[in-house]
Amino acid sequence: MPEPLRLFQPTSIEEAVAVLAELGDDAKVVAGATALTLLYRQRLIAPGALVSIGRIPGLKTIEVVDGELRLGALVSHREVELSPVVRGSIPVVADAFGKVANVRVRNAATVGGVMAESDYASDPPAVFVALDAVVDVQGSNGKRSIPASEFFVAFYETALEHDEIVIGVRVPVPPAGTGAVYHKFVTRSSEDRPCVGVAGVVRLHADGTVADLRVAVGAAAETPQRFRDTEALAIGKPLDADLIAQVADAYADQVDTLDDMRGSAWYRTEMVRVWVRRAIESAAAAPAR
Amino acid sequence: MTDRRAQGEVTATEDGRLAIPAMLNGRQTTLVARPWHTLLETLRDQEGLYGVREGCGVGMCGACTVMLDGEPVSSCLVLAPQVAGREIRTVEGLAAPDGTLSDLQQAFIDHTAFQCSYCTSGFLITAERLAEEHPDASREEIRHYLAGNLCRCGSYVKILDAVADLLERRRAGRTAD
Repeated sequence: MPEPLRLFQPTSIEEAVAVLAELGDDAKVVAGATALTLLYRQRLIAPGALVSIGRIPGLKTIEVVDGELRLGALVSHREVELSPVVRGSIPVVADAFGKVANVRVRNAATVGGVMAESDYASDPPAVFVALDAVVDVQGSNGKRSIPASEFFVAFYETALEHDEIVIGVRVPVPPAGTGAVYHKFVTRSSEDRPCVGVAGVVRLHADGTVADLRVAVGAAAETPQRFRDTEALAIGKPLDADLIAQVADAYADQVDTLDDMRGSAWYRTEMVRVWVRRAIESAAAAPAR
Repeated sequence: MTDRRAQGEVTATEDGRLAIPAMLNGRQTTLVARPWHTLLETLRDQEGLYGVREGCGVGMCGACTVMLDGEPVSSCLVLAPQVAGREIRTVEGLAAPDGTLSDLQQAFIDHTAFQCSYCTSGFLITAERLAEEHPDASREEIRHYLAGNLCRCGSYVKILDAVADLLERRRAGRTAD
């Protein structure tokens, strides 16, 4: 292991940001450490310093304010999964966090961590992108908010500057009558990361035509994939099998799928087609909130 | 120094390692580790707690499961300094001080819920928390909760039997009270 590795344990966001500003890319932020420990121990990263933010107060809140579900960066996956506030406002968020890995990882891994890691095969990002969530970050120049769809830039790369940390995620609570689902399709063991994960959000008018349709595909490409032009085509039309197939085909055509041990690019494209269809079908059938 | 330790702060030792105060199986202790050491390595190499086992090393198998502040975690994915001021419980902390096995441990023996036993300590820690959190768990719920603990011998059916039986025994105990 590289030496020396310095450890910082700031007790405020400002203090953490100051360390990052001083050390630049040589410092890595760590919270639950499930991802960082793996990357570090497999020597995929070699930071000179760790900034452990677990003791910073005020980042563990779960609340609904002004029509938004607000999750603090240090809230664990397990806390999201079990939270009555989350289940009562946007149940699909609890559902998606509950599908991550196993109970041990969910006890440690945090909301801020899964965002900042930007692993293409994590479950929550696709759900946040589909729900138009916003990521709140803080750096030397103060706070700013980044739409989730712009936050994930590339493979393990985010819109964060080196001196910025994620402080929370805000998710607009969808209007009543909206169905939202997350389908995690795994090709190996039950607790594995997905081959393809699809978040679907659907709201229908009383006459069965589409009022709102949002689809984000995770784990199939470097970042969660959402195609607003395709979504827009469905608005105002009756949600029938033809329309759903059109959207699913359009997603299969547009997602530039990747190859890994969970599936080839060709296979992923076909699974995108299948799971986008199923996500729209089940979101439309999901009980209205 | 003493005050900072009492507050659960990490301090440096004379040889440049970290002194990490923590509660370990009910007693206050100071773990000594480098910043990059995992909790798994520290518990085995420094504390001699060999019930904590390395399997996959990537958080998938559950052999290294310990409780951190009452919740099961993979100790291979916890960096030692992260446990400062926190409470750790390993399989060594399940039995009574006089060596009497816990009812959970006894249930595993009664059902022969292991073959090679490498995974057993991890299963015991996860199952202990399951029993606290979901005392009325169905067999299906037990299966879901334990899904992240792997047994390469394939003793799953016996393990499910043992945990289901434990929950039943505890329920019977509660009713008797």
